[in-house]
Amino acid sequence: MSQWLTKVIDVAQENQDFLAPVRQQAITQLQQAGWPSQRAEQWRFTPLTPLKDRTFSHAQATDSVSVPEIPGLDAIDIVFNNGTLVTSLDELALPQGVSIVSFAQANAQQQDDIKTLFGRIKPQAHVFGQINDALSHHGVMIDVADHAEITPVIRLINLTSADSDNHTRALVKLGQHSHAKVLEFGQGEHDSMNTAVAEYSIGDHASLEHYRFAFYTANAKAVGGTHFKLGESSNLNSTVVGYGSQLSRLDIDIWHSAENAFAKLNAIYLLAEGELFDLHTCIEHAQPNGTSEENARGIIGDGARAVFNGRIHIHRDAQKTLAEMNNRNLLLSRRALVNTKPELEIYADDVKCAHGATVAEIEGSELFYLLSRGISRQKALVMLNFGFIQELVNDIPNKAIASWLQPKLSERFAHMEVK
Amino acid sequence: MLSIKNLHASVEEKDIIRGLNLEVKPGEVHAIMGPNGAGKSTLGYVLSGREGYSVSEGDATLNGKNLMEMEIEERAREGMFLAFQYPVEIPGVSNMEFMKESVNAIRQQRGEEALTAAEFLKKAKDACKQVQLPLDFLKRGVNEGFSGGEKKRNEIMQMILLEPSLCILDESDSGLDIDALQVVADGVNSQRDGKRSFVVITHYQRLLDYIKPDFVHILAEGKIVKSGDASLALEVEKSGYGFLGKKYEGETA
Repeated sequence: MSQWLTKVIDVAQENQDFLAPVRQQAITQLQQAGWPSQRAEQWRFTPLTPLKDRTFSHAQATDSVSVPEIPGLDAIDIVFNNGTLVTSLDELALPQGVSIVSFAQANAQQQDDIKTLFGRIKPQAHVFGQINDALSHHGVMIDVADHAEITPVIRLINLTSADSDNHTRALVKLGQHSHAKVLEFGQGEHDSMNTAVAEYSIGDHASLEHYRFAFYTANAKAVGGTHFKLGESSNLNSTVVGYGSQLSRLDIDIWHSAENAFAKLNAIYLLAEGELFDLHTCIEHAQPNGTSEENARGIIGDGARAVFNGRIHIHRDAQKTLAEMNNRNLLLSRRALVNTKPELEIYADDVKCAHGATVAEIEGSELFYLLSRGISRQKALVMLNFGFIQELVNDIPNKAIASWLQPKLSERFAHMEVK
Repeated sequence: MLSIKNLHASVEEKDIIRGLNLEVKPGEVHAIMGPNGAGKSTLGYVLSGREGYSVSEGDATLNGKNLMEMEIEERAREGMFLAFQYPVEIPGVSNMEFMKESVNAIRQQRGEEALTAAEFLKKAKDACKQVQLPLDFLKRGVNEGFSGGEKKRNEIMQMILLEPSLCILDESDSGLDIDALQVVADGVNSQRDGKRSFVVITHYQRLLDYIKPDFVHILAEGKIVKSGDASLALEVEKSGYGFLGKKYEGETA
């Protein structure tokens, strides 16, 4: 057992609320399974050593935190600081058709709604998902009414400003034929541990534009998940951006629970020297006529390690499924590493499923061309590699978010050395 | 301007340039002609500093500065421009972004202010029109999906924007039809101002009908074997490269 996990279980048992039964279930699972073995396939390339004997620490929210400004973005901000919800939800000016309530303030009816979603979409057997189940007292439920069109982007912002344990939760329910945009944002460089989990239920014919930006760096540890359940003819467009840190892991699950749903997932990861980022994605095609398109692209710096595990599971009934998955990696040094693994399990016979993975180094003739025009080596490398990432940035449906993101990524890249 | 003395260069340990001498003064246009394998393109690459080309002997200076001690980008900032025979396609990097970066790097070297996006756009549009490329080529990926002729015109557009002091044109005529050739030549001629120098590398005399050289040199087996004025090019066109020896018989220019 790990010292940290023992403390997690102790803390969880002391705190009880209306979610006690489901939290207790998670605690029991944690007690039974114990700390994951390094041989476990899930953690094969991602050592959990930095967490095992970590000191569990609770930090207070600080008075002022600076929320990232995205110029030109119409946003509704829900802010967690060091794991504590600091936004007064009552004071938010919300458009018609959306309601947001915290777990702590939910009335009986709202508690019932929360219970019908909490833990129902994410996979059961994930140790950090269970830890979040057990500890996520700071959480919100966002409910979008049938047919509602919510224009502002709802931002779920997790900021860490101290060494802390942060276990926040978001539940998002999109009614039939509704449309919403949600951005999950996490940032921190302290010695924190973050397990932000979000579960989305996208109703029939509804559409969600989604972002998850995991900007944890340095000593921060982040093992979080975003889990989607897609209704009939629903539409998901998700963009994930990850930086690397001492330990960064993100699990994205997309569950086609009804026919004819469409999901697009673009993921970008940029790892500087010595960092780790692990992206596990799983697309469950449980019903017929579903489509999924997944593109993950990463640049990996000296001594850094990326892990990409892309699973596609096409169930026996999911005929006429179209599933595509592609992973491209660019290594900036001989000591950069990526472990990329497609995992395809197909039980239906009338499907189209394609996957590919590439690992490349920089093309000499392209570099020479830019240098011969007077562009510095550093800048030329940024431009060349950005081309590779740029396509996914260009694909972001919200222009304000795309124009804010692009210089951030190129600046991060500019500090990465090519060796 | 450009001074090359007894230059020897090799690629993968194979000697390609073997004792080449060339003096180019401000405002002059020098044509370098020669049969296949003479070392014409190698000369352009050695001067611009491409990796894999090593100089074993001799030297080359640009405006009195030793080129061989300069990085690739420094040579460009010093005023050298190589128009590629086969321009590289770089999907994902827009032509506009590429050229703006390049122009501003060179302006910075000259101690000039960087151009704003608006100032650059105006210049780029003018240059784009001048080489008769549609304006949307500025937004496309660098050379991405361009035809052979469009790539060559894109090179000339860059030359116009960068205002180099020495332009080396590496077979800028290859693969062009007569109209495209005219556009490329007009672009080059518009940049002749009495100070800017040109080294025009070509296999065929045809281009020299449009870009009138002051000097013509014949390059064979890594060195200049014959020099003259424009009439030398016409002579080579008429009789081919056969005068260089038996193995060049039948190779036309």
